[in-house]
Amino acid sequence: MSGATACVALLQRELRAVARSRSQLYSSILFPLMLLALLGAGVSEGLQPSSSILGAGDYTDFLAPGMIAMTAIFASTFSSASFYRDRDTGMLRALLASPHSARTILLGKALAAVVIGSAQSVAVLVLAVVIPGIELSWQFGWLGGAATVVAAIVTLNVMLNGLALLIAVRVRTMQGFHLIMNLALFPLFFLSGAFFPLEGAPEWLRIISYVNPLTYPVNLIQYACWASSPEGLIGPAITAPVLGGLALLAILVGLRRGPAAAQ
Amino acid sequence: MSDAAAELSAATYRWPGGRGVGGIDLRIERGRWLTLLGPNGAGKSTILRLVAGQVSAEDGEVLVFGGPPSDAARRRVGVVFQEPTTDDLMTVGETLELHARLFGLARAERSARIGALLEELGIAERAGDRCGTLSGGLRRRLDLARALLHGPELLLLDEPTLGLDPSSAEAIWERLRGLRDGGCAIVVGSNDTAEAEANSDEVVFVDEGAIAARGAPSELTAALRSDSVELDWPGCGAAEIAALEGLEGVGAVRSAPPVLHLTVDGAASFVPLLFERWGGQIGGIRMRESSLRDAWFQIVGRPLDEERGS
Repeated sequence: MSGATACVALLQRELRAVARSRSQLYSSILFPLMLLALLGAGVSEGLQPSSSILGAGDYTDFLAPGMIAMTAIFASTFSSASFYRDRDTGMLRALLASPHSARTILLGKALAAVVIGSAQSVAVLVLAVVIPGIELSWQFGWLGGAATVVAAIVTLNVMLNGLALLIAVRVRTMQGFHLIMNLALFPLFFLSGAFFPLEGAPEWLRIISYVNPLTYPVNLIQYACWASSPEGLIGPAITAPVLGGLALLAILVGLRRGPAAAQ
Repeated sequence: MSDAAAELSAATYRWPGGRGVGGIDLRIERGRWLTLLGPNGAGKSTILRLVAGQVSAEDGEVLVFGGPPSDAARRRVGVVFQEPTTDDLMTVGETLELHARLFGLARAERSARIGALLEELGIAERAGDRCGTLSGGLRRRLDLARALLHGPELLLLDEPTLGLDPSSAEAIWERLRGLRDGGCAIVVGSNDTAEAEANSDEVVFVDEGAIAARGAPSELTAALRSDSVELDWPGCGAAEIAALEGLEGVGAVRSAPPVLHLTVDGAASFVPLLFERWGGQIGGIRMRESSLRDAWFQIVGRPLDEERGS
């Protein structure tokens, strides 16, 4: 039996689990949408930002790409929880007793996490398109822009799941993992340009953002579906290869080191 | 073709913190039942994991069906772990379906084997229920069904009847005896001497990460006298032990203070004599027919139920 067939079997298992865990499904999508509605409306109407970077000044439009990326982060957190649950319940040991390498099993689980996270992020993208009051600007036409956003979403999910595997090698408990998420990943997300434009930010903050791996997917998604012009953004010539490189590095190192986490 | 399903030569594996096994030599024959007998923490599970290929020997060699443990070798091995290994969110049927797919069974074969095993193990009517709703006994049957799905030639079982009622346990042993008779090699990790004595072709005493003794149950108990006597005797010294060993019909005496263990030819005649001479010093006495449990005490020098952090 090929590893690909094993990966498909694991993917189906994870999809079924997500479909049964509705609260997880809804919270992954609803929280970013809630933030988009409340924070977007509150800042747009309450503070009325005048920065030219925000175009017509609608903060909700600016926030939408960041919320798409945030959905991926939420989804990867839940997927990692599934890894810890499998390890704690012993299910992972049973999977590893099958005639497949630990890497194939972890690849199957990571593939499932990427598919689930990407589907949830795309759902937020679709909702952002259809919700009245959010105006997206497609840089490459809507088809090219949408394809770029989807590619960025998938690549971001690959990167996050690679990172999650690496964290699992070091952090043995789900509580520890959530602590890492709260202490590291969310601050990095706040510094990614998802909540405020980096162009007008202080220099020290921009320097941090350039070494922040989450800046690149957020920037790429902003470029593809929000920016009315490339001005003020890093640009896909840099963000796309950096994101792709980081994702490849994270998943390869994650799969290389991950089997140690499965013990 | 070698009759060995698996062979370990000086196999060593240490977990972080030092627990594990060292210098294990073991040959697991096809169509034979081998029980690894020892207290919790002795290293039985580590040996099973070495054979299952879930950990790699740091030193020495492990061969499964003539080669190192590999993905291909695992196709011929079934494993029942000590702890339940089911996902509460999956149903019984889905659990078996997933594992049948991982072992590459074709759709028609999957369906037939899953149906047959569910019936045979008495869990067919729970096929649509989530694993989280199963009792401990039913989960154990599910674990066994999963291990048997792909028709393994080597079955590794870690405390397979732990927590089961006697009739459920006997049903599992009966099934395993049938598999052994069909040529499957059975390796059971256990601390139940009665089960080991009743089912095993060979018993291996595992203590503190090493093999303390091995042989057929009858070989391991051969040196014992017919009855076993365990005494709570805190003040027993070398003089009393020598005096006991000098009595006719008394075998070797083992002291694991405050307990003294010996086997005798006929406890009925020995006990009155014992109390006549030392009755005031003895706090308690337990007698039974000699068994593997006594062979363990005699060979290892302490009771089997005394855990060690090896």
